[in-house]
Amino acid sequence: MNISQTSLALQNLARRTFRTYALLLAIAIVSGAIFSTSTLMWGVNSSLNKGLSKFGADLLVVPKGSMISMKSALLTGEPSLFYMEGGIMEKIASIKGVKSVSPQLFLTSVDGDCCVMGNAFIIGFNPKTDFTVLPWLEEKKERPFQMDDVIVGASNSYNVGDTLFFYGQNLTVYGKLGRTGVGLYDNAIFMNIERAYVMAEQSHNTPNVKPLKLVRGQVSAVLVQTEVGAKIPFISFTISKDPDVKVITAGNIITSVRQNLVTLFGSTLVLSFVLILANALMISAIFSTIVNERKRELGILRAIGASKISIFKLIVSEAAMLTSMGGALGVFLGIVIMRVYQRTIIFNLKALNMPYLWPPVESIIMLASIAIAAAVVVGVAGAFYPALQGSRLQPYDAIRAGE
Amino acid sequence: MANMIDINDVWKIYDVGGEKIEALKSVNLQIEIGSFISIVGHSGSGKTTLLSILGGLTKPSRGSVKIDGTEIWNLNDRQLSAMRNRKIGFIFQFSSLIPTLRAIDNVALPVIYANGHGKTSRKETYEYAAELLSTLGLGRKLQSFPSELSGGQQRRVSIARAFINRPTIIVADEPTGDLDAQSEGEVMEFFSRINEQDKTTFLLVTHNLALARMTDKVHSMKDGMLTHS
Repeated sequence: MNISQTSLALQNLARRTFRTYALLLAIAIVSGAIFSTSTLMWGVNSSLNKGLSKFGADLLVVPKGSMISMKSALLTGEPSLFYMEGGIMEKIASIKGVKSVSPQLFLTSVDGDCCVMGNAFIIGFNPKTDFTVLPWLEEKKERPFQMDDVIVGASNSYNVGDTLFFYGQNLTVYGKLGRTGVGLYDNAIFMNIERAYVMAEQSHNTPNVKPLKLVRGQVSAVLVQTEVGAKIPFISFTISKDPDVKVITAGNIITSVRQNLVTLFGSTLVLSFVLILANALMISAIFSTIVNERKRELGILRAIGASKISIFKLIVSEAAMLTSMGGALGVFLGIVIMRVYQRTIIFNLKALNMPYLWPPVESIIMLASIAIAAAVVVGVAGAFYPALQGSRLQPYDAIRAGE
Repeated sequence: MANMIDINDVWKIYDVGGEKIEALKSVNLQIEIGSFISIVGHSGSGKTTLLSILGGLTKPSRGSVKIDGTEIWNLNDRQLSAMRNRKIGFIFQFSSLIPTLRAIDNVALPVIYANGHGKTSRKETYEYAAELLSTLGLGRKLQSFPSELSGGQQRRVSIARAFINRPTIIVADEPTGDLDAQSEGEVMEFFSRINEQDKTTFLLVTHNLALARMTDKVHSMKDGMLTHS
């Protein structure tokens, strides 16, 4: 290999292998922590935004007592079993700026019923007014949706064409939704709201099933779609005049989850920044030692023609190479750890009401690039002062330093 | 003949704990192009300090130092570095090799700071480096690291490095210090050949009078002054 400024820097790094590897690992730990944390935050945030936008409703009107559990239902798919009178839909539809309204009815789980695997969260919807379920069908039968059909969320194991047996009736899986990141949709089984009322009525006559305390006409939620340019705060305020209901906007769900995000990841980020500072100081101390150890060599390089800026670049490029390798190693370790523990991570995030979708590859590449670039910036910043000192050495004094 | 080196009234005063130490006192020296001269003197006489000042490594306290007509201490760092790289070849009195580089890379090292000057390709540089090392008896040690070489071999690698950019001046501080008598003779013969062929100016600093007598002119230094020439 022909000699160059770059190869000289690389060979200098190889000189003290233990010191180089220790520094590499320290940088890898910090950049890995930053990369993993930002990837998780990105995943929660983007899945939340994506999920709610897919949800398609500008407002969600729910019975007053179900406010908190509705947020939970939206994000994790845990059922909320509060009901309100369906008559409210007419009132909402009459408000200026409201484009369409559609009811949804949440039923309790049917754990233990024949032919249903595990807990199934059942949602009744009206196919005639719906604007949030049918548009997101990923697979479906080549015929219209019928009374005895159900649609399953992406997290269900049922496939199109499967037969489910609920409350003494066979139901056919008509279609399957794409993954939304909204737990309510990903876990649910959707059926015609009329069929849901029938099923609720039959629960009183079905052995070994807890009867549903539901009256025909009651609904769990009303989804509201507004016209373009409508004043959503005004509509929300008008609906909220009814003391028995609450209005949930996409915004306040996101705010709630972001508060959880800050709580969970905020301390990790603070710790990461403390570690970055510690890394920069450590690099500064180590490169000061390196400059001191190599005083004579730096003097010789000056004697054979290296300018001050060449010496500065040599030292800084050593730091940049070391930290970029450390950063890349950190990103690699971060990806491996996140992949190995992805089930645990997603489970724990769900426990905190945080949906999670892995960010797309291009976003992961961007975050990885940022983490590596941050590591390089820390390296360059840390080595800046020692490099400046090294470049300012008087050649003759530096050459005689080792005598 | 024009002067290659022109030193006028050069002083070097060190401040050591408030005490002024005069390392050089009003030194004047003119060396013509293609000269082969030596400076002798006891340890501490100031000869190495003089060498470092005319080589652009130490700034004098006052006085004028011209190389090939250029006042070198008026140059900025980039210009002075370029001059050291292209015009001056240094041979130090101690091991001055980079330990992580093989012998041939150590010899080729100054080329990376030449910034394309001379337009010599990497291949040509390495061929010339190998030729220099072979001339100095190290043809079989091109790929050896400094730790694998004896003191004398390391010294010969340093000598080869001083010539890689075909400088116009060679400044050498005890250049044959680690060499046996035979190697010393071979190195001096090599210096003489280059001096005659390329009109390269040589300035040797030594306390070895026998070596000094092999040069065309001998100057002596004592207590920071050139006392005899």
